[in-house]
Amino acid sequence: MTSILRLRWVVFHKELVDGIRDRRSVMSALIPPLMWPLMILVMMNFIAEKRRKADDIKIPIVGAQHAETLVNWLKQQRGVEVVNGPDDPYEAVREGDENFVVVIPEDYNELFAQAKPVEIELVIDRSDDDAGSFVRRARGLLTNYGREIGILRLVARGVSPAVAAPIRIDEVDVSSSQQRAAMVMAFMPLFLVLSAFVGGMQIAIDATAGERERGSLEPLLVNPAPRTSIVAGKWLASVTFAWFSVLLTLFLLIKALERAPLEALGLRFALDAGDIAAVVAAALPLAFLASGSQILVASFARSYKEAQTYVSFLMFVPMLPVFVMMFGSVGPKPWMAPIPLLGQHVLIKQAMEGEPASFLAYLGAGVSVIVCGLLCVGVTTRLFQREKIIFGR
Amino acid sequence: MIDVRGLRKHFGDVEAVADVSFTAVDGAVTGLLGPNGAGKTTTLRMIYGLSRPDSGELLIDYVDVAKDSLAAQARIGVLPDTHGLYPRLTSREHASYAGRLHGLDGADLEQRIDRLVETLDMASIADRRVSGFSHGERAKVSLASSLVHHPQNVLLDEPTNGLDVMSTRAMRTLIRRLRDEGKCVLFSSHIMQEVSALCDTIVILSSGRVVAQGTPDELRAQTGHENLEDVFVTLTGIDEVRA
Repeated sequence: MTSILRLRWVVFHKELVDGIRDRRSVMSALIPPLMWPLMILVMMNFIAEKRRKADDIKIPIVGAQHAETLVNWLKQQRGVEVVNGPDDPYEAVREGDENFVVVIPEDYNELFAQAKPVEIELVIDRSDDDAGSFVRRARGLLTNYGREIGILRLVARGVSPAVAAPIRIDEVDVSSSQQRAAMVMAFMPLFLVLSAFVGGMQIAIDATAGERERGSLEPLLVNPAPRTSIVAGKWLASVTFAWFSVLLTLFLLIKALERAPLEALGLRFALDAGDIAAVVAAALPLAFLASGSQILVASFARSYKEAQTYVSFLMFVPMLPVFVMMFGSVGPKPWMAPIPLLGQHVLIKQAMEGEPASFLAYLGAGVSVIVCGLLCVGVTTRLFQREKIIFGR
Repeated sequence: MIDVRGLRKHFGDVEAVADVSFTAVDGAVTGLLGPNGAGKTTTLRMIYGLSRPDSGELLIDYVDVAKDSLAAQARIGVLPDTHGLYPRLTSREHASYAGRLHGLDGADLEQRIDRLVETLDMASIADRRVSGFSHGERAKVSLASSLVHHPQNVLLDEPTNGLDVMSTRAMRTLIRRLRDEGKCVLFSSHIMQEVSALCDTIVILSSGRVVAQGTPDELRAQTGHENLEDVFVTLTGIDEVRA
């Protein structure tokens, strides 16, 4: 009798040829890998543009004529443009016509000459989130000017400026620039995981529910091939599509990030060959579980459409670990690796941060998803023995 | 040779096959005749190993279907009730897929397919994808798939259903040819004329039971009717239902 392995190859080969000729299957393997890198590029450029805009600042001043030195100093700062403020600064800010307005009192020069504190009003609307970065920059500029003048006054009186600065705050950012890059790119593991799910989805449906809908399952099972080889062949064909999708996603994401304005965002993202290999090692085994669960779920459906409904519910599952990671604010822990999906998220994330986990973690993660995938295939094989599934259309 | 003994099968409360026994021998055409719902398809499904009987014995060339369904399946070619095709594969690829699942490969497989393309008059559709094929063309593709491994036993479930006159004639010719080659041909039908024109042995099923079996002549003698259709009506009790 023909070996089980060879029969599995026969089914695998047929499903692959069938899948490649199916526009729906090819699209589902191609579109996500093309779409996500594009999304990242657009988002990055958007953020960079916003940041660049915040650097260029227009400062509306009411009463500029009272403080010429201050206004001249502001005009000399990079990216600053001083304009005349509106007649009613409070109304203008409240209505959102201006992000903020600086109001200089009439007695500015008088108080300044006596070295007394001058009250400068910065009119803001705290509920206006978009204005926040502009307000911060304006406040920073005014504070800097004040500090400079203060230092000059102390020096003029023969006092060391250090006396007036008992504390100096030095911010130390412990996240390496690569880690910050990974924070912005926190969704990249999700993209890879989703590719593993979307890539082989259509072929998994076509090979099970599609087979039932067409009435081709009965003629197929009449052939002397064990159900295990038939189901395994279909499973592996779906896995192959998913792999293609994952690898293409990774390749295009890296290409997109090479073109993203990372420097403008103060980010650095560089994966060496080892990191890429680690990402691949974490992502590829996931396809065994993704395709396995899809084949199992789709086998219950009598039609392509019905199966698509079931399988799209399944798509919520890979999202769960992202919510856990993002909103539970849990850091990566070693025990997470062998938990299907969560493990892949953690391992891909760590690899992208340039800190791949131990070999054991990869082994645990890989083995756990492959075992789960095999379980799905085992149950599907059982289903393929049921007369309701073979004949029920 | 197909040997069926005391076959039973129920679905819930419905007894689809209550008691079916018959033998289909090599070099002969055996017809499974009965009205809709008589248990023909269920019986065939049990013979080709996709449906498990509640009790009874099924032997294909002395191989027990229950004990070694794969070995039994290797000895039969089946044209099931639903012969769905893969719309993106060509006719030749369908036959090739079935052949490979039977362990065939290479030049031998190609030769077998070439011969089938000739026998079934499929030259014009052999390398076309099957989507958009007519009913007759689809039936040919299914037949090619079920005959590619040269099975000793051929099972056809209502093979002429939905076929036009020309395709029906071609199907009958093929059935006769298989018989002349010494194969065991078992087919089901609810059309009396078809069965009487083709069969060496007729097994009449009604409500899951064999109500009569024998050559057409034997059946005529048994019921006293000259017309086979009257024989059929008498034996299946359709008359009583109508009355």
